[in-house]
Amino acid sequence: MQTIQHPELQETLYYEKMPNGLDVYVLPKEGFQKTYATFSTRYGSIDNHFRVTGEEDHQVPDGVAHFLEHKMFEEPTGDIFATFATQGASANAFTSFDRTVYLFSATEQIEANIETLVNFVQNPYFTDENVEKEKGIIGQEIKMYQDNPDWRVYFGVIEAMYGVHPVHIDIAGTVESIGTITKETLYTCYNTFYHPSNMLLFVVGGVDAEKVMSLIRENQAKKNYGEQGEIHRLFADEPSEVYQQRKTSQLPVSLPKCLFGLKEKKVLELGEEQLRRDLVTKLMLDIMLGSSTPLYQKLYDDDLISDGFGFEFNTGKNYAFSIIGGDTRDPDQLIERIRTAVEEMKQTGFDQAHFERARKKKVGNYLRMLNSPESIANEFTNYKFRESDLFAVLPVYESITLDEVNARLRDHFDWEQLAISIVESPVQA
Amino acid sequence: MTSFEQGRVHQMRIHVLPTKRFKTFAISLYIGVPLEESSVTKVALTPFVMRRGTESYPETLQFREHLDDMYGAGFGFDVFKRGDYQIVQFRMDVINDAFVASEESLLQQSFAFLGEVLTKPALKDSAYRNRYIDAEKETLRKRLEAIVNDKIRYAAERCIEEMCKNEPYRLHPLGERKDIEGISSEGLLEHYEHWLQSASMDLYVVGDTSLDEVQKLVEQHFQLQRSEETTYHMTPSARVSRDVQTIVEKLDVGQGKLNMGLRTSITYKDDQYAAALMYNGILGGYPHSKLFVNVREKESLAYYASSRFDGHKGICTIQSGIEIENYEKAVDIIKKQLDSMQAGNISDLELSQTKAMISNHVRELGDSAFEMIGYDFNRQLSGKSRTAAELLEQVERVTIEDIKRAAQTFQLDTIYYLRDRKGE
Repeated sequence: MQTIQHPELQETLYYEKMPNGLDVYVLPKEGFQKTYATFSTRYGSIDNHFRVTGEEDHQVPDGVAHFLEHKMFEEPTGDIFATFATQGASANAFTSFDRTVYLFSATEQIEANIETLVNFVQNPYFTDENVEKEKGIIGQEIKMYQDNPDWRVYFGVIEAMYGVHPVHIDIAGTVESIGTITKETLYTCYNTFYHPSNMLLFVVGGVDAEKVMSLIRENQAKKNYGEQGEIHRLFADEPSEVYQQRKTSQLPVSLPKCLFGLKEKKVLELGEEQLRRDLVTKLMLDIMLGSSTPLYQKLYDDDLISDGFGFEFNTGKNYAFSIIGGDTRDPDQLIERIRTAVEEMKQTGFDQAHFERARKKKVGNYLRMLNSPESIANEFTNYKFRESDLFAVLPVYESITLDEVNARLRDHFDWEQLAISIVESPVQA
Repeated sequence: MTSFEQGRVHQMRIHVLPTKRFKTFAISLYIGVPLEESSVTKVALTPFVMRRGTESYPETLQFREHLDDMYGAGFGFDVFKRGDYQIVQFRMDVINDAFVASEESLLQQSFAFLGEVLTKPALKDSAYRNRYIDAEKETLRKRLEAIVNDKIRYAAERCIEEMCKNEPYRLHPLGERKDIEGISSEGLLEHYEHWLQSASMDLYVVGDTSLDEVQKLVEQHFQLQRSEETTYHMTPSARVSRDVQTIVEKLDVGQGKLNMGLRTSITYKDDQYAAALMYNGILGGYPHSKLFVNVREKESLAYYASSRFDGHKGICTIQSGIEIENYEKAVDIIKKQLDSMQAGNISDLELSQTKAMISNHVRELGDSAFEMIGYDFNRQLSGKSRTAAELLEQVERVTIEDIKRAAQTFQLDTIYYLRDRKGE
C-alpha cells in the first residue's frame, strides 16, 4: 500500500494496485460519519466500437453502456438495491461519455457494503427475459429526456458539432437502438470493459485504509480473472469542422433556449497536457463570461441572458469543445454580442487583475469541493481516467500565466468552429 | 452530531456549531413570514433585488468581484415554503483562512458582507433602486414562466396548486406573475423595511468559530432594530371532505406525468412523525419501496415512481412518468399500494430495510454543514426539539402496527395527470 501525502490540503491518500490490475484508492476523512465508494469502469457511451488485442472488432448498438449499467443491478438472487437497503446503504449508478460508475453511501456496515458493491459489479446476470423487461423502463427514461428542453438543447449542440465521433450519440441510445440489444451484446461488452484492469475503486470517509485494502485484496484473490489484452477503442476520423452550423428543435418553452459550441480543431492525448489545457480554458471562460464579468453584467442588463446562463469545457478521447449559453429572448443577438466582445478581448487580452481574481475564485472552489466525499470520489476517478491527478490541480492553477490564458483565448475562439443549438416553442396552428 | 450553541442578537436567533471538520465556514440566514397572497410576490422579489448591490458595493459587478476576491466565496439565496410559511434563505460558504493566505479574516469579511446585504442593500439607495427593481421583476417573471419548461416540476407544482386551491399552500414560493407589474419601487422598499422588522430570523454558522465570536460579528455588522422575536406557528394540512379529485391537463409532451397528493394529520411535531416517515419510505422513498418495485420493476411502466413527505405541511406526494395510454393501469397499481399500506401489508424485510435507509440518511446529515443546519431549522419551524439521535431512536422503535395506524391518516386527495394533446 502506497501512502500519498498532501499536507497543503490536509489530506492523505492510500493506493494499491491489485494483482489482477484493479486500482484501489482510499481517502480517510476523520470525523466523517459517512463512507462513499465508487467502483468505476473506463467504459461509456462513446465506446461503441472496440477490439481487444488478438480478438475481433465489435460494433455495438447505441446505448449499450447505459443499458448494461441498468442490468448490473439484477442478480440471480434479486435486485441488489434490496441488499444495499438491508445494509442501510443508498446505492446508485450513472453512465457518461467515457465511464460507468457504481456507488453507495452508508454510515454502517461499511465492509459489507464495499463487498456488495464489488461483488455485484463483478457478477453479471443477464437473461433474455430480464433484458427484454428493461427495454420498457429505459424507453421511459429516454422519453423523459426527450421532453426535457435543457437536455435537448445540450445534446443538440454536440450533435451539431460532431457527425462521426460517438460523443454525439445520446448516452441512453434511442428506443430503436436499445430494441436490438440482446444478452449476448451485454456479455460481449461486459467481458471487455469490466475486467479489473480497466476499473478503479475509490473509498472515502470514516474508514481505515489498511482494513479496506486487505478486504479488497482477499475479495479479489478469490476471483479468477485471466490476463486481458489491451482494449483498442476504435474511432473513425472526425472531420475538424463542425457537422452542422445550426440545429433547431421544438418543445414548449417559456423563452428560446440557445447553446453554442466551439469545437477544438486540435485533439490532445489524455494526460498532463490535456489537463492543463482544460484548466486554462475553464479559467479563460470564467474571466470572459463569469457572473462577475462586465460582459455578463451587460448581457444581463440588456435582458439577453438570465441566471441560468453558463458555460463549460468538455474534453475526452478524441473530442474537446466548449458550450456557452442559456435562455434568451434573441439567440442570434446573444451570439453576435458575445462574438463582438470576444473579438475585442482577443485584441486587448485580459488584464492582470481580472486574471488574478478568477484564479483566486478557482482555488476557493477547488478547496470547497474537498468538503464533499461525493465530489472527491467522482472527480478523482474522472481525472485518473484522463491520466491526470485531481490533487495536482492546485499547483497547475498556481503556474498558469496571463499570457497563456490570452493565447488560449485567441486559439479557442475560432468562429469557423461554431455550432448553434436552439430549442423553441412550436408555432401553434 | 453535536448540537448547536444558541444565542440571540437583535431579536435574531443565533445558532453556532463549532467544528474543525470542514475546510469552510457555512453561514445560513433564514427569514420567514406567513405565506400570504398579498405579500408572496413582494417577499420573493426582495432577495433578487438585495443580491444586486449594497452600500459599499452598489454596482452588481463590484458586489460579485468582491465575492471573488474572498477566494470565490459562495453566496446565494433561495425562496421556498415550509408549511404555510414563505422562507428566504441567504447562504454563504467561505474558505477557512487556514488554507489560504488571506490578509483579513474571511469569516469577518463574510459577516460584513452579509450584514450589508441584509441591512444596507442598494435597494435603499434611490440612485439604484429603480434600475435593480425593474431588472429583477423581469428575472422573477422569467423564472415563474420557466416553471413549465421542466415537466416533472411543473406537474408537481400543479398537483399541489389544485390540491390546496383554498389554502395559502397553493401559492408558489416565487409568487404570482400577475402581481409583478403592480409592484412599485416605493412599495417594495416599504415592504422590505416591514419584512426586516417582522420576519422570523435564524442565523446559522458551522465551522471553526464560536458562539461568542459570531455574536460579536453580528452586533458589529447587522444594523437591525427589531423590537420582538417572532416564532413560527405551523398549521397542519386542512382535512377536505370531498371525493378524490382528478385533474387532467394537456400540453405538448411525449411522456405522461402522473402525480398524486395525499393528506395526513401527522406533522413534524407529532409523536407519530417517525411512523409517517416510515410510511413514506416503504411506499415510495427508495428503490426497494412498493412504488419502485411494482410500477417500475414488475410492470416496466416507468423509469421513476416515488413518493415524498412534507412533514411541516402533512402532505405526501407521488410522482411518476409513464406512457400516455398506461394512465389507468398506473393509477390502479399505485392505488393498490396505498390500500396495501392501509391494510398493513408490510413485510419485516420492508420494515428493516426502510429503517436502515432512513437511519443512514439521518446519520449522513452530520457530514454536511448545510444539511445539519437544515435539520436543526426544523426545530425552529415546528417548535419541536428532536435531535438526530432521538429521531434515530424513534425510527428504530416503529412497528408495522404503528405504520398501519399512521397509514389510516394518509388520504388520497388529488390525482393530477399531464398528458399530450392527442384527441383535442
